[in-house]
Amino acid sequence: MSVSTRRSDDGHVLVIQVQGRFDFSTHQAFRDAYEHCDKPMKEYVVDLTHTTYLDSSALGMLLLLRDHAGGDVASVVIENCNADVRRILSISNFEQLFSIR
Amino acid sequence: MNLLIAEDSDGDRMILATLLRRLGHQVYEASDGLEAVAIFVKLEPDIVLMDALMPRMNGMEAARKIKALAGTHFVPVIFITALAGESEHAKFLEAGGDDFLLKPFSRVILEAKINAYSRMLALHRSVMQQRDQIRRQNEQMLSDQRMARRVFDNVAHNGCLDAPNIRYHASPLSIFNGDVLFAAARPGGGTLIFLGDFTGHGLPAAIGAMPIAEVFYGMAAKGFGVVDILTEINRKLCSILPVGMFCCGVLFEVDGKQAAIRVWNGGLPDGWLVRKSGECVAIPSRHLPLGVLSADRFNASVEPLNAEPGDYIVLMTDGFPESCDVRGECLGEDAVRRALTELGSQDHPFDALMARLQAFTGRPDPADDITLCCLEVVARGALADVAESAPESSLSGPGSWHCVYEIRDRALATFNPLPLLLHICTEVPGLRLKSGEVFTLLSELYNNALEHGVLELSSEWKKNAEGFSLYYQERARRLSDTKGHFIRFTLDHESRPGAGRLKIRCEDSGKGFEVSKGNANARTNASKAYSGRGMEILKRLAREFSVCGPGNCIEIVYDWERPAQGATSQ
Amino acid sequence: MSDIPRLDEEALAELQDVMEDEFGVLIETYLADSRTRIVGLNEAFEAGDADRLRKAAHSLKGSCINIGVPRLGSLCFELETLGDIGQLEDAEPVLAAIAQEFQEVSRQLENFSQEK
Repeated sequence: MSVSTRRSDDGHVLVIQVQGRFDFSTHQAFRDAYEHCDKPMKEYVVDLTHTTYLDSSALGMLLLLRDHAGGDVASVVIENCNADVRRILSISNFEQLFSIR
Repeated sequence: MNLLIAEDSDGDRMILATLLRRLGHQVYEASDGLEAVAIFVKLEPDIVLMDALMPRMNGMEAARKIKALAGTHFVPVIFITALAGESEHAKFLEAGGDDFLLKPFSRVILEAKINAYSRMLALHRSVMQQRDQIRRQNEQMLSDQRMARRVFDNVAHNGCLDAPNIRYHASPLSIFNGDVLFAAARPGGGTLIFLGDFTGHGLPAAIGAMPIAEVFYGMAAKGFGVVDILTEINRKLCSILPVGMFCCGVLFEVDGKQAAIRVWNGGLPDGWLVRKSGECVAIPSRHLPLGVLSADRFNASVEPLNAEPGDYIVLMTDGFPESCDVRGECLGEDAVRRALTELGSQDHPFDALMARLQAFTGRPDPADDITLCCLEVVARGALADVAESAPESSLSGPGSWHCVYEIRDRALATFNPLPLLLHICTEVPGLRLKSGEVFTLLSELYNNALEHGVLELSSEWKKNAEGFSLYYQERARRLSDTKGHFIRFTLDHESRPGAGRLKIRCEDSGKGFEVSKGNANARTNASKAYSGRGMEILKRLAREFSVCGPGNCIEIVYDWERPAQGATSQ
Repeated sequence: MSDIPRLDEEALAELQDVMEDEFGVLIETYLADSRTRIVGLNEAFEAGDADRLRKAAHSLKGSCINIGVPRLGSLCFELETLGDIGQLEDAEPVLAAIAQEFQEVSRQLENFSQEK
C-alpha cells in the first residue's frame, strides 16, 4: 500500500506517508487518507521520506488537501523531501503555501 | 445454444442428441466428418461434439477444419471417445480439441461440460464486445480531439510565432499534453509571449487553454500590459479550473523600443537570457503557478531585464529537461545550462539545444511533449511592421468627438489608461486600421509623461545593467507616492469623407524641463531636450508636433486616410 | 464370461428415462445399426484387414456399452484387441460368439421395450 496514515498521540495531527512514486495512480488512496477522518485535524503532515518522485498531479493533490484543510487558514506541512522532490516543490514555489521542512 | 453432434453410430448419436435436446439446446446431427464440416459452415453452431473415429473424414481432421473455419471466434470442440489412453488425449489437443467426453455417456458430466462451455462462450463474447466497444470509443475520442484541436487553432491562431526572430518547437498535438505557446505582436512594436503547461493530459488539460488564448490575444491586441494580462489569466483560471488543476507558465514581453524585457515565471523550469557576450542569466520561477492563488493574493510582479539586439531569450516546459535516454535517465536542467554557456558566437541557442536533446535521447525526432521557444532580440525597425488586420466593421462610428481623460494621484500607480484610450480612438472605423500607430503615439506620450514628467526619471540610467535595475527600483519607489500628480489626455477627432484628423494633447503635472531664461528660446530648448527621449517616433508618425508650456504638455496632430481599394495599409 | 451381465438394467432404465416415448425407436435404431456393423466385422475378417477389424469392433463396443449390453461389448473388446495385435487367426470363434450373443440380445431388448 503506497499511502499510509497515522495520528499523533493527541489525535490532532494526521500524518500521511507516501511511498514510491507520488503520481496520478496515488490519487484515490491519497484522498481517502484524509477524507475519512471522523473529526477535523488541527494539522496535516505529508511525510515524503520514501517518496521517490513527484509530478504535477501530486502537486494538485497537495492543493486539494490544503483546500480540504481550510485553504488559506490551513496548516499543512511537507517533510523529509529528497533533493529531486525538493526541487520540484521549489520550482512551483509551493513553500508559499506549505511549510516545507 | 446450437450444438453440432458428429457421431457415426446411429444409436449413440440418438442418445446424445436426445440428452442435449432435453437440456434445452438446439441440436444438429452429422454422421461423419465431412457432413460435420458442411453443417458447421451452413448453420454455425456454438459448440461441436465430435466422435474421434469416423468414416470418410475422421474426427481429428474435421476438428482441425472446423477450428480453422472458426478463426478468431471461439467454438469449443469436445471429442467423444470410448476409453482412450493418454496418447490419444494428446492427439485430441493437437487437433484443436478443447475437451473430451467418455462413452458411455454420463448425463451429469455431459450437462456439466456443456454448461461450463456455455459460460465460457458467454464470457468470451462479452470480452470481444467490450474490446470492440473500447476500440470504437477510442476512435471517437481521437476524433473528438482532432475536432477540439481545430477549434483551438481558430481561437489560438499562431499569432506571430512565425516571425523571423522566433524559433520554436511545439508538437501539433501538444495541447493535449497541456502545453501552449502563444505569441502576439504589440501594437506599437514589441512581442508578447506566453508559454504554459497545464496539469493533466488529454481534453481536461486542453480545456483551460482556450479561454486563456482568448484573454491573451484579446488583451495583447488592445495594448494591455503584462501585469494586467497575468492578473486576468490567473483570475480566469481560478474560476474555471477545479482545485488541484493549475497552469505553470511564463509570460514575457520584449519592448519594441528599448529592448527591455519583462518576465514573469510561475512554475516552469528556468528560462534563460543568453547575452551576445555569452553571459547566461537564469530566469527562475519565482511565483506559484497560475490558477492557484485567489485574485487578492496573486502576485503579478515582473522582473525587468535589459537586453540588446543579438541577445536571446530561451523558454521551455519541463518536457525538455525531463526527456529521457534509453536508460531512463533525464537530460536535466544542468545539461541545459551547460549547452547554453558553451555556445559558440555563431550558434543559435535553439539549434544547440535541439542538437543536445537529439544526441542525448538518441532519437532523431523530438518526442511529443517538448515545447521550446527562442526569441532573438532585434533592433527596432528590423522587423517589417505588422500588417494591421483588424476587420472593418459595418458600423460607421463617431466622426466628430472630443474627450478629456485625466488620471490622478494613486491611480497613476495602479491603472494603465492606454487600452481605454486606444479603444475610444478605434471606435472610428478608419482609425481601427491604424491602431498600431495610434497606440504608439498614445504610449509614447503617456510613458514620457509618467516616467519623465511625473516621476522625473532619466533614461540615462538605463544605459548599463546596474543602472537598469536602479531605474526600475526607483520607478517602483516613486510610483508609491504620486499624490497630487496627474496626467491628462485631451482627444479630438474630426472626420471628412474617407479621412480624418485626430488631435492628442498630453499634459502632466511634472515640472517640464529646464526652461532657459528667455521665453523666446523656450520652444527650441524644449524641442532639443525632447529629441533625446524618443520623440523621433512622434515626429515621424504625426503631421504636427508641438510643445506647449514649460514642456509638460505635448500636442500632436495625426491625419489618416482610408487606403485606396486594393492597396495594403501601411 | 458369464459374470458379465447380458443386460445392464440400470443403464437401460436410465435410457428409458432420457428417451421417454422414443425409447423404442432407440432400440430399433441400435439393433439396425449393430446388424450392419456385424456384417462389416465379418467382411473385415474375410479381407484379412486387421486395422479395419479393430476400428469396427471398437465402434460396436462403444454403442453396446452405451445401450447397456455389456457382455456383447466385452466380446467386441476381445475382437478389437485381436485386430490391434494382428492376430486374425484367433478371430473366428469370437465372431461366432458375437453373432450368437447378438441374437439373444436382440430378442431380450425387443421384449424389454415392449414390456414398458
